[in-house]
Amino acid sequence: MLNIDRRWIFLGIGIVSIVPFFINFGLPVTTTMEVESIFDYVNELGPDNAIFISFDFAPGTQAENMPMAVGVMRHAFHNDVPVFMTANYPLHHGMMLAAMEYVFNPTTVGFYQEVFFDDWRDLREAGVTGKYELIEAWENQGNQLPDGAMGWVFEGRDYAALGYAPVFNLVILGMTVSIETQYPVDAHGNSTGEMPMLREHKSLREIDLALTSSGSGACVWWVTYAREKIGLPIAFGLTAVMATDYFPYLQSGQVIGQMGGLRGAAEYEVLLTENGITPTTDKAFTGMDVQSAAHILIILLIIMGNIAFFAGGFHKKTLLKGGS
Amino acid sequence: MIVMVGGILMILQYFIPHQISQTIFAYYTDWTPIILAFALVLGVGSLTRIHSHKIRRKAKNWQYSYAVLIPLFGMPILAHILPQSLGGGMDSPSIFHFFFMHVQVSIQATMFSLLAFYIASAAFRAFRAKSALATVLLLAAVIVMLGQVPVGELLGKWLPETGLWILRYPNLAAKRAIMLGVGFGMLATNLKIIFGVERNWLGGAGK
Amino acid sequence: MRKNWIVVPALMILLLLPALSVAQGVDEILTPAAEEQLEEPDSWLDAPGAVTVQDKDNDAGDQLLVSFEQPLYTDGIFAYNVYRRIVGEENWNLVKVIPADDPREFIDGYDPEYPIEPGVLYEYRIASVTVDGEEYFGPVCEAGAVSAGEIYHTGKTRVLIASILFIVLIFYYFGKAQRGIKMYMRPIAGIEAIDEAIGRATEMGKPILYVPGISSIADVATIASLTILGRVAKKIAQYQTPLIVPNRDPIVFTVAEEVVKQAYLEAGRPDAFDPDSVFFLTTSQFAYVAGVNGIMMREKPATNFYLGMFYAESLLLAETGSLSGAIQIAGTDAVTQLPFFITTCDYTLIGEELYAASAYLGREPKQIGALKGQDACKAIIMGFITLALVFGIIDVVANTHILDWLRDLVASPIME
Repeated sequence: MLNIDRRWIFLGIGIVSIVPFFINFGLPVTTTMEVESIFDYVNELGPDNAIFISFDFAPGTQAENMPMAVGVMRHAFHNDVPVFMTANYPLHHGMMLAAMEYVFNPTTVGFYQEVFFDDWRDLREAGVTGKYELIEAWENQGNQLPDGAMGWVFEGRDYAALGYAPVFNLVILGMTVSIETQYPVDAHGNSTGEMPMLREHKSLREIDLALTSSGSGACVWWVTYAREKIGLPIAFGLTAVMATDYFPYLQSGQVIGQMGGLRGAAEYEVLLTENGITPTTDKAFTGMDVQSAAHILIILLIIMGNIAFFAGGFHKKTLLKGGS
Repeated sequence: MIVMVGGILMILQYFIPHQISQTIFAYYTDWTPIILAFALVLGVGSLTRIHSHKIRRKAKNWQYSYAVLIPLFGMPILAHILPQSLGGGMDSPSIFHFFFMHVQVSIQATMFSLLAFYIASAAFRAFRAKSALATVLLLAAVIVMLGQVPVGELLGKWLPETGLWILRYPNLAAKRAIMLGVGFGMLATNLKIIFGVERNWLGGAGK
Repeated sequence: MRKNWIVVPALMILLLLPALSVAQGVDEILTPAAEEQLEEPDSWLDAPGAVTVQDKDNDAGDQLLVSFEQPLYTDGIFAYNVYRRIVGEENWNLVKVIPADDPREFIDGYDPEYPIEPGVLYEYRIASVTVDGEEYFGPVCEAGAVSAGEIYHTGKTRVLIASILFIVLIFYYFGKAQRGIKMYMRPIAGIEAIDEAIGRATEMGKPILYVPGISSIADVATIASLTILGRVAKKIAQYQTPLIVPNRDPIVFTVAEEVVKQAYLEAGRPDAFDPDSVFFLTTSQFAYVAGVNGIMMREKPATNFYLGMFYAESLLLAETGSLSGAIQIAGTDAVTQLPFFITTCDYTLIGEELYAASAYLGREPKQIGALKGQDACKAIIMGFITLALVFGIIDVVANTHILDWLRDLVASPIME
């Protein structure tokens, strides 16, 4: 048993990863202090505040990091908090676009209807830039909220997809002085200077939270260049492998909270659903069944391996003593 | 000499808030992306040179070199040169977007998901109670793993609580200790580089 | 005597007068009808008072410390608009809006649209804003100071002290090592196994795979790895064992090529250097891993070195290497990846042992001195931690706040 072919182990993992997608156990997820602190902080924010969501993860870790970023984005949209979105690497820019596609997709349960920057130019030029007056004016123009949509989100008023800029640690440093100088145009080519949310929040000093959903050590750039320089509150969304390493930042108060791995993302989804912000939980919560099954299998394998190890050892000792 | 002067200048700059110091720093931050952009030229040039040599010499597996070169030049052309009317551009719907979302994202996610299988086989092989310390490691791993999933809560409230305690206290202490050690190591290595003690990063020019 | 009895009634009147006025005020508050009968307050009652402007310390001459007096009548005030202009100019710029509940002292100069220039004299005017949007302007006040940049940031003194202390310690041990004083270094199994690993590959006639991490040349771990590569390559050159060095970063590839070439030169075998042994694969993380795994399965190296910065691909590399039957020595300062290397590799250099490896292999005095200097710095930190632990216990037992005081002294953030 000690020399079991690896392929049996791989087969076992494959089976326990696939089966829970067909048999939904729906095991409950209780929330922890680390995630609740992020939720409570974002819940206190409103239309006068603004947050940054930094997509600092590659497609490889999107299973863990994407639900975190999407969860906070939906939370912010629900509370009418403007969201700036950035990416620290060209590949991660695609993740930002994928997140937006998902949140604005009519097939997503609890989606938001996006209004492009050019589409509401006439209202902007007429001086209608406040969120509630903008919705009223937009609907008075004959625009109707689609069925199933949670609300309107206006590009430049509710969100700005700033995207990737090179040498991102220096970009963060530059944004402590002025966001517009680092991003004169956003990812869609819109002038950021014309965006009402940027007129109201010109630098990181006027931002209330930066969430970095990260699959690498780049999350620490936000702490080094923003938190330590101007006191910007930072929240981490990390892969499970990394989450254990960043507890010192949590304990010292340098970050307000941390979502660790799929579990952290699932906890945030549970909080969103319990508070009526999203109608249902999402992919991270579904994934917890798979994670439960996989963890149990790994533990069983470890126990089997140890039994075989000790049995083999005792057997050898018995032989040496002349036993059968 | 350049590294020594630049390094000492940047150290001093940190302590001097005066506008002249900030201007120097802004100048440096403006130049950094320009210099880094040349690394891209170096990388693309190197990759093209190696694979075109392979194709020319018909070296082993030379066919796969086409699989490297075609996307290397094809994707930027699709993103920036091909007109939008013909499916160009980076945003959806475009050919670039299709390849990114349905090829690159899928491939990278697949490679990353291999880790799940490898972790299982590594855990089976490595987590043996060979000694007292190994047993402690094994027990901590089992408790934390069970504590992180909903099944653990069903087995007993103490499991997730103990798992969180392990993460918040012993794990934090150990990680902080490693971070401090790494931090001082980086300090010493950077000082060695600035003052010319460490010159291997210069390659042959360092001798 | 006559004067004395006049003083008493005079004193009584003086004492009674304020009491009478307070009583009048109390009556006004307690009598709603009386309140309604009050006239609309004059605008000067709603307007803020004088503005005080000082130069802010520890800045680049682009910030001013501004405070203003609260209006006498604050009911209905929603916010304060802060207007600023250069003395002699006509146009006012709205530079800040302060909510009514926020402190009336703030730092001006953060708005990138209206920066403060050093040496320029400004005027300020604050207006109270009601819910209806009406503004009640206070007086125009010329700033009492101009902004000037400081040469030294006093808030960073503790960083300076710590930096000087640590740098001096490292240089002290540099000097000590150069004077020939022997310093003890505990043996590290992974480093001592390098020779054995190279010997194994030579005996088996199989190549050695050296992965210098996947980070850029700016990463200290990569530099440490390239230093070790130089020494390993020198040994390999002597034994004429094949070497494979795949790279993820183009600059690291260039440096690695030079390092290996130089090592062969120093070993006296420049002709044995194979230019194809050091090559650039790809910048994509998982494509690089796939490439290296393919090399491991095809070339079947006898020894694998994973030294440098690694991310999620570390387990993929090490597990595949284990499958191929190679002896594996890993070293990284990426704490996240250490558990994977420890479980799959034969030897692992943990954290700063990677940086120490170059000192171990080369035994150069300065390298050893730097290593001892690091240890001395760590000893100081350990002393601080012990002190903090003792003070923490004293605080709990004796209900004092020594630890809080110490924390404020040492660890309070330095804001700019």
